[in-house]
Amino acid sequence: MKNHPSFLPSTRREFFTLGAKGVGLLAFSRYAPAFLVSSARAETPTPQKDMPILVIVQLAGGNDGLNTVVPFEDDHYYQLRPNLAVPKNKVLQLDDRAGLNPACAGLHQLAQEGKLAIVQNVGYPNPNRSHFRSTDIWETASDSNEFVSTGFVGRYFDNCCSGAPVNSDPLGVHLTSEVPEVFFADKDHATFGVPPYGNRRQRSENLGLLEKLIHQPVQGENGSSSYLRHTMMDALVTERKVGETLNGYQASAVYPQNAFASELRNVAALIAGRLSTRVYFLSLGSFDTHVNQQGRHEQLLKTLGDGLAAFQKDLEAHRLADQVLVMTFSEFGRRPMENDGKGTDHGTAAPLFVMGSKVKAGLHGTAPDLNVDRNQDLAYGIDFRQVYASVIDRWLAGDSAAVLGRKFAPLGFL
Amino acid sequence: MNLALAPSEAWQPLPKAEWDEAAAQHLLRRIGWSAQPAEVARALQEGLAGTLQRHFPATPPALPTPPSVVEIEEDTPEFADQIKAAAPAERRALYQQARERSRNALLDLTVNWLQHASRPEFAVCEKWTLFLGNIYVVAAQKVPNTALLYRHQDLLRRSSAGTAPELTKSVLRSPAMINYLDLQQNRAGSPNENFARELMELFTLGIGHYTENDVKEAARALTGYLQRFGEFRFAPRFHDNSQKTLFGHSGNFNGDGVIDLIYAQKAAATHLPGRMTRFYLTDEALPEDHLNALGDWWRGTGFGLRDLAHRYFSSRLFFEPQFRGSYIKSPLQFYLGLLQDFSLDVAPLPRRIEPAFRQMGQIPYDPPNVRGWVGGREWISSATLEARRVLARALFQPLDESRLNADEQRAVEAARAAGAKAFAVSDDALRPYATVNSDEAAMRLLQRLLPATQADAYRRAVGDALTGEGQAPPPLARVRNAIVAVLETPEYQLC
Repeated sequence: MKNHPSFLPSTRREFFTLGAKGVGLLAFSRYAPAFLVSSARAETPTPQKDMPILVIVQLAGGNDGLNTVVPFEDDHYYQLRPNLAVPKNKVLQLDDRAGLNPACAGLHQLAQEGKLAIVQNVGYPNPNRSHFRSTDIWETASDSNEFVSTGFVGRYFDNCCSGAPVNSDPLGVHLTSEVPEVFFADKDHATFGVPPYGNRRQRSENLGLLEKLIHQPVQGENGSSSYLRHTMMDALVTERKVGETLNGYQASAVYPQNAFASELRNVAALIAGRLSTRVYFLSLGSFDTHVNQQGRHEQLLKTLGDGLAAFQKDLEAHRLADQVLVMTFSEFGRRPMENDGKGTDHGTAAPLFVMGSKVKAGLHGTAPDLNVDRNQDLAYGIDFRQVYASVIDRWLAGDSAAVLGRKFAPLGFL
Repeated sequence: MNLALAPSEAWQPLPKAEWDEAAAQHLLRRIGWSAQPAEVARALQEGLAGTLQRHFPATPPALPTPPSVVEIEEDTPEFADQIKAAAPAERRALYQQARERSRNALLDLTVNWLQHASRPEFAVCEKWTLFLGNIYVVAAQKVPNTALLYRHQDLLRRSSAGTAPELTKSVLRSPAMINYLDLQQNRAGSPNENFARELMELFTLGIGHYTENDVKEAARALTGYLQRFGEFRFAPRFHDNSQKTLFGHSGNFNGDGVIDLIYAQKAAATHLPGRMTRFYLTDEALPEDHLNALGDWWRGTGFGLRDLAHRYFSSRLFFEPQFRGSYIKSPLQFYLGLLQDFSLDVAPLPRRIEPAFRQMGQIPYDPPNVRGWVGGREWISSATLEARRVLARALFQPLDESRLNADEQRAVEAARAAGAKAFAVSDDALRPYATVNSDEAAMRLLQRLLPATQADAYRRAVGDALTGEGQAPPPLARVRNAIVAVLETPEYQLC
C-alpha cells in the first residue's frame, strides 16, 4: 500500500503536506471531513489533552427498574409482584431499604468501591409508552409533546466542539449498526461506527480510483448523495486508524465472553489509543420483557454489570479511569404490577447508573412510591434532563441550558 | 418538499409520451432491485400499465416451502408428546436441538428467499411482500420458530393483492404475530397491550391518531386470539365479552370489530401510502394535501392493495425528476441488485451471507424491533458502508471450494444441480469491457451500473483507471478493479 498515493490525509500535517504538493484539496472540500475544511480556513488551537469522555450505554427495550434496584422493605412491591419480586434475602443491599438484583454482582462491587452512582426514579412528565417515541424523547432530550430532530449529544457537539479538530478522529463513535439518534446534529461532525464484529479489510488496489471518483462532481446531486459522500470520506479517513488501534490493543482486564463486553473492550482500546473521541455509544438488549422475565432480565443485568466492572478495571490499569464516565439509560421502566405472563408491560420511571472514578457513589434521589392502583404507573421523581444537565455541565464542561433549551436543576452525583 | 404537481394532478397517470427508457429504468429500480436491459426493453414494449399488471398479479406467486422448514417439529403435538415423555433433564436438550434445527432452517429459508427474490419475474412481488413485512413486523429473535416466520411471510404474500383491512385481520391470526406481540398473553382480566398499541401506532394509523384509552380498550377486544401448535384459534373463555368504548363508539367489539373501527378513521387512508413513500420513493414525507388526495381515492377502492400499487407506481408524482436516482438502496436491494447486475446465483453458504447482512444492518427475517427497518439515510454509517464494500469485493473472488466443509460442498453441488451457474463474477462477465477501448468501456460500465448519467470527468477518471497502453483495450485485472471501485461509490448505493 505504501506506493499508493493517497488522496485522504488523516492528520492536519498530512493535509498541509499534500496541499504544499499542489493537490487541490480545497477543490473537493465540500465532501471532505469537517476537520479538513475548517482547519484549512482558520488556524485553530490544538485540542486539550485528556478531555473528559462520556460512554453512553443504552438498555434497549425498557429496563425493569423495580427488579434492578429492589425496594426490599416495601410491602407494596411484594404485593404487586407475587411471582417476579426478588426476595429480600437475595437482594444485594445498598442501604437499609434498597438493594440490587442478585445478578448485579459486578455493579454491587462497583458501588462498594465508590464508583457507581444510582439515580432513582428517573423519568419525565406525560410519559410515552411507545418504545420508539420514548427512545426519541430520551435521545433528543425533548419534552414528551415536542418533536426534535437532533440528539442531545449532537447538540453538545454543535455547541461545544465546533472549533476545528486537528485530526480526523470522530467526535462520536457508536458500536451499534445504526447511527444513534443522540448523535444527530445540526452541524456536521465526524461520527464513526465500529462494526459489531469482524476484521476490517485492508485497503485494496481499487481505493485509488474510489478516492478519485469521490471527488468528482456528480449529476443530479441531492441530499442523499451528498450524505453518502460525506460518510464515505469520513469512513476512508478513519477506518485505517481505528482498525490499527483495535488490533494492537492489550487489555489489562479479563472481559466476559459476550458481544457487549467485546464492545466495551473496543471502547477501552480507542480511549487508550488516544482518539479525540468525546462520546461513545453502546446498546444492550432487549430488555422488553413482557413474558417470562426473570431469567432473561437477570442475564442482561449480569452482562451489563460484569462488562462494566471489567471495563472500569481495564481503564484503571491504563490510568484512564479519571477521564471516563459511563451513563446508562433506557426508554422507560416497566409497570409496577407484573402481568399474567410472568412479565411486565411498558411503564414509566426507572433508575439509571452513572459509573466512574469521579462520581459521588451511592443512591441519589428517592425510591418510587409504590402505593399505586392496579396496573398504574410510577410517578417520576427526577427528570432525565437533570441527569443530562449534570453530565453536560459538570463532566463535559458544556453549557446544558444551551444544549437542553432550558436550565434543569443539577444532581449531586458529580 | 417542493412539488411542482398539485394534489389533483400528482396521482394522474404518467403521460404516454413520458414513458421512455429512463422512466422504465426508474420504475424497475424502485419496484424491484435493478434495471436489466432485457427487462427495460420488455417494459417499454408492454407499456406502463401492462408492466404493472404483470408485476402485481391478482395471485402472487408463492415461495415453495424449503424442506428444512417442513421438517421443524417444535410447536407440534408430536414434539409436545416427546417433551412430556422425556425426563426433565432430557427436555432441555430436546428444546435445544429443536432451537438449533429452527435456526438452521432460518438460514436455509434466507438463502431460498434470496434466490427466489433475485429472479426478475418474482422481484417485484417479493419487494412488495418485504414492504408489507416491514409494517406487519415479526422478528426471528423473538419468534425462534422458522416455520411460523415462513408462514407469516407467506400470509403477507398471499394477502398482498387483497385489501388492507383483510390483510390486517389475517395478521391478527398469524401465529408468528401472536407470539411476537404477546397476543398469547392477552386475556380477559389481564390484558397485554403490546399488539393493540402497535396495531394502531405502526400497522394502521400512526402515532397521534388514537388515545391511550383506545389502546387499552382495543387490548380488551383483542383478548382470546391465541395460537396452539402453530395454528390460530379463538378462545372464547379468554375473550373479554364486555362493553368497550373506543374512537367514540361503544359496543362488545371483538378484534375484527376493532379493525373495522380503525379503518373508519381518517388516518387509515394515508398511513399506508405514507409508508409506501418512505419505502419506495423518498426519505421526506409528502405534503399532507397530496397524501390526502391519494388516501381519499384509496378509501373509495375499499383499501385495495393492488389498486394502490398500480395507482402509485403509474402516477406522475412517482416519476418526478427529483425522485430519480436519489434514493438509498437497502442492503437487500444492494445485494439482490448486484446479483442481477452480474447474473449471479446466491451461494448456498448462509453462514457467510448472514454476517454480511448483519454488518450492513438488515438481517433477513430479523428486523431490529417492531418498527422494522427505518431505511433511507439510516442505512448508511461508516460501518454499514464498509460492509457493503466488503460484500461487493467478495463477489469478485471465486469461491474457494477446497475450503468448504462437507455440508457446504454438498449444498453447493445441490445448488448447481438445481441450475445455479455462477456464485462469483467470472472473467467472462468482464470480457465485454476488455474488448473495447477504455473510454468506451468506462461509458458502458457506468451506464450499466449507475442510476444517473455521470459527468465527463467522472467517466474519464474510470477510463484512466482502465487504460492499458494508449487506446488499447484494458486488461481484465483493471476492468475488475474499476468495476469494484464503481460498486463501492456513493453513486452505486442509490437507485
